[in-house]
Amino acid sequence: MAEKLSAVRQSRGRSSESWGHNIKKYWPYYLMVLPGFIYFIIFKFIPMLGSVIAFEDYNIIGGIFNSEWVGLKHFRALFTYEDFHRILRNTMILGFCKTILIFPIPVILSLMLNEVRGLKLKKAIQTAIYIPYFLSWVIVGGLIFDLFGIGGLFNNVRNALGMESILVMQKESWFRPIFVLSSIWKDAGWGTVVYMAAMSGIDPSLYESAAMDGASRFQRMRHITFPLLIPTIITLFLLNIGNFLELGFDQVFNLQTPMTYSVSDIFDTYVYRVGIQQAQYSFTTAVGLFQSVVGLALVLIFNKLSQKTSEGGLW
Amino acid sequence: MKVRESVNDRIFRLVITFILVVLAIITLIPLLTVLALSFSSKAAADMNIVNLRPVGFTFASWKYILSNREIWKSFFLTVVATVSGVLLALMITSMMAYPLSKKEFKAAKILMVAALITMVFKAPIVPYFLTVKSIGLFNHPLVLVLPQILTAYNMIIMRSFFQQFPLEVEEAAMIDGAGRFRLFYQIVIPSSKAVLATVGLFYGVTIWNQFQHPMMFIQDTDLFPLQMKIRQLIGDGSELQTLASMAGINYSDRTLQAAVVVFAILPIIIVYPFLQKYFAKGAMLGSVKG
Repeated sequence: MAEKLSAVRQSRGRSSESWGHNIKKYWPYYLMVLPGFIYFIIFKFIPMLGSVIAFEDYNIIGGIFNSEWVGLKHFRALFTYEDFHRILRNTMILGFCKTILIFPIPVILSLMLNEVRGLKLKKAIQTAIYIPYFLSWVIVGGLIFDLFGIGGLFNNVRNALGMESILVMQKESWFRPIFVLSSIWKDAGWGTVVYMAAMSGIDPSLYESAAMDGASRFQRMRHITFPLLIPTIITLFLLNIGNFLELGFDQVFNLQTPMTYSVSDIFDTYVYRVGIQQAQYSFTTAVGLFQSVVGLALVLIFNKLSQKTSEGGLW
Repeated sequence: MKVRESVNDRIFRLVITFILVVLAIITLIPLLTVLALSFSSKAAADMNIVNLRPVGFTFASWKYILSNREIWKSFFLTVVATVSGVLLALMITSMMAYPLSKKEFKAAKILMVAALITMVFKAPIVPYFLTVKSIGLFNHPLVLVLPQILTAYNMIIMRSFFQQFPLEVEEAAMIDGAGRFRLFYQIVIPSSKAVLATVGLFYGVTIWNQFQHPMMFIQDTDLFPLQMKIRQLIGDGSELQTLASMAGINYSDRTLQAAVVVFAILPIIIVYPFLQKYFAKGAMLGSVKG
């Protein structure tokens, strides 16, 4: 008994012991992490290493190891390929929309929610705006096609105002607004949760003394709440920016129609169609690698920037 | 020390409250319109006069949808995948998170770095597809479960929870002679219900709503999970459209599709109170950095 107690005590703060010793003493820990470790290897790291097929002409028989090595051929093809410019442009435009138009909405919403008095009313509002987050994009797609289709509420209102119905989902010019609106509808409400949590940690005496000094509600929001949210905003921004070129297959696939492909085809849908369905494995892996590397670079750059400008950062 | 609210502050607060109430109502409108449509008659749907309330109230669409065996098959497949997936995910995630919360575990640092790498650098989808296919999961029901049983994000949430677990309790149990395994599942797990519920619900929603995975890996229509089945039913040229063109029925393609969508929303609405309670807590746990 005493032996075990001292083992627990001793073990803390001693990192210099040898691996063999550590494994022998804490073998249950090693056993416990094993399934998760195997999961990471199979589902995360092998596919990462499998990216080498972007530098090969992959064929099923040769597999990863025996397919012909072609170096940068696919990457060179990529940058001269007309389709690539189109999907890069589409993806970047939607990525900017996501970063500039969609990302700030939860911040604004939670600053507003913070002003609501009356717990019940606040709860009711939160309940309503959280719901869409839990619906799949298939369902959200279904809802939006119905809402903006012929006979949907949108066109019925237009008709009532004496305007003609429009096929919103089949119009190129409407795809990006629909993308932005559907993102906000689905995720903005839920996005407030983290900010609300951060705001609940703010010391109430800050508000009280500001109010004593005559600061209005808006001034308190502007000069107390918002500055204290900035670290949270930065963390979430950094977690988001890595997905700049990965907008999510589900959303776009469930909102696009053949008539809007010219503006709605993005990396994720392109890779699915050409890579998975048409089996052009090597070329689309090059596309995917481009996405991942850009994502990683953005995280690293913005992390550095935020470390320089404020003490915040992901690591 | 309460300071009285000035008139301007009051107006400011009321305007904001009003805007939020309007936004909350707008959020619910798409759900109301689809609900109304699912209970409306074919004639009303064809005349485009259904807005927020059913017109020509009928159960015709619902009767058709609820007697469709295909939909129920996908539904139960998805239920089984979600329940088993959540249980498996909780086991594997907690078993990885617990040792990683221990300073004396020497591999903790390396494994944390590995987990963080999976968060910032994502493997391209095609080699991922080829890997998963090569281990025999193509067109296999387990592909709905196995790829979803661990995420670095959820693991880190659990780890930060375990890090706050009082060490004295663990030490006391060790003195009583409990091994590390028993300590884990008899002491640590039973007192971690909140974090298990939260993370379990995160996994549950992911598995229930997954779409891209089954689109890549499932071709056999018998193995279609609910989301894929719905997509098939509400997509262009679906069987519902041919069905609804028959004579003597009181549903149209639009009312049927509306009923399918509501059918898929219902389970979410039913578990929603639990979702909201634990998810809000979970997001707070997640916001604790480190």
